[in-house]
Amino acid sequence: MLKLVGATMVVAASGFGGMAVAGSYSRRPKELKSLRSALQMLETEISYGATRLPEALSQVARRCDGMVSFLFSRAAAELSSMSGITAGEAWEKSLESYYPGTALKPRDFSVLRNLGASLGISDKEDQIKHLRLAMDQIGLEVSGAEDEAARNVKLWSYLGFLCGIMVVLVLY
Amino acid sequence: MHVMQFQKTMGTRDAAVGAINEVLPVLPVNIRRMVVSLPEHIQGKVEEVRFRQGRPLVLGLPSGDIFLNAAGKPVHLASEAYLVTPDDMERLIQLISSSSLYALEEELRNGFITIPGGHRAGITGKAVLEGGKIRTLKYFSGCNIRISREIPGASSTIIPHIIDQNSGGIYHTVLVSPPLCGKTTMLRDIVRQVSDGIPTLGFSGLTVGLVDERSEIAGCYRGIPQRDVGVRTDVLDGCPKAEGMMMLLRSMGPQVIAADEIGRREDVYALEEVLNAGVKILVTAHGSSPADLSERPALGALIRSNTIERYVTLGRSRGAGTVEDIIDGKSFRSLGVKRC
Repeated sequence: MLKLVGATMVVAASGFGGMAVAGSYSRRPKELKSLRSALQMLETEISYGATRLPEALSQVARRCDGMVSFLFSRAAAELSSMSGITAGEAWEKSLESYYPGTALKPRDFSVLRNLGASLGISDKEDQIKHLRLAMDQIGLEVSGAEDEAARNVKLWSYLGFLCGIMVVLVLY
Repeated sequence: MHVMQFQKTMGTRDAAVGAINEVLPVLPVNIRRMVVSLPEHIQGKVEEVRFRQGRPLVLGLPSGDIFLNAAGKPVHLASEAYLVTPDDMERLIQLISSSSLYALEEELRNGFITIPGGHRAGITGKAVLEGGKIRTLKYFSGCNIRISREIPGASSTIIPHIIDQNSGGIYHTVLVSPPLCGKTTMLRDIVRQVSDGIPTLGFSGLTVGLVDERSEIAGCYRGIPQRDVGVRTDVLDGCPKAEGMMMLLRSMGPQVIAADEIGRREDVYALEEVLNAGVKILVTAHGSSPADLSERPALGALIRSNTIERYVTLGRSRGAGTVEDIIDGKSFRSLGVKRC
């Protein structure tokens, strides 16, 4: 009886583990897409509205959801605090507390980080160029991430359970 | 002189220290610390903070320039002074522009940015040209933050001479002054008094239309004046003077139109329209005397047409905001108000 309970726990644990990995694969394209649309909004604010950056960031934060909203609102708050930090530093700070909670990969992080370095320091055309570049790079990642998700989500959700069952069979 | 007296009697020193407090948020943190560690009486007198990359940090005081060393102590030798680093410069520009250089292209073309509180930050760097016109600035190398101060009552000696007791209006007035003589401060206070009215002189307020192209007079933040410009004043913020004057004339029915730093041809055309509409003008111009102005290409014709009724010249002979003279525009004779 005790063995049976243990076996169930092993299967459940590795099953959930597999599903968690699968979940991060399926979350990444969604997160990338919402990042891309947030950057699109920021571009609109900058190019048409000529809105100042702190305000533009909080406008975007208000209009998008979840973690992305957090990224933008935190950056806006840092920047409006007038503590003497630059837009790049505010973005970086916010990015660092945003990134660990996401399914993003280090290369997504570096795209966002590179964007931060040029945020707010040049004229409109240049800002748009940098934002477009970041959006294009994210766009590439989106299609890669979707392929990966299609391949890996099923794989990992089965793999977890199967591994659990295998362990049980070996030990039983 | 009465400006100084006013500061002494009314204890506006706190207000003056307050003015520099408004500028602190745009200074890089290390420089903020240096300025704050200055003795209060020096902080209260700072008129300018000048940054030049690789050269000493300079504070402009009424008594002359001083340098600061890294510990924030005033020093007189440039060799002991704190040198402005490229990082300071970059941070300063970001803070002044609230990291939004893209939104300030017009300001950069004019060479300065107005920061919250109506203080002006002049900027130099390399001009980027497009078709022979300045498109923007880059490689910022210098910055001069000019602290503007609100001094209620600064214009009290002038006011009786520009009010027309018979009609209950004011005279067409031009304030003539070289830079840094308190021209904008004076204009702001005249606008406030004319707009509020002056019961002791039996003068009821007039509707004033104020075109504040540089956001310096009313210090607007998101269109709302942060400085007291009077109860009957309509402010058109950030609008080119010539168009602004026409807009106010058509839309707001002003009795007086006020603007700062008149000089370009289109400004003068707009002023002529205002004059033709029977609206009084209250403007400032760079120069040292009315004769000086009449030599200017655009302004000259207006000055020579004898329509201006009062010239007030400002100087620094007794500190910023000294009224050097008030001159009648018809006879070009002094009204006997000198050096006060």
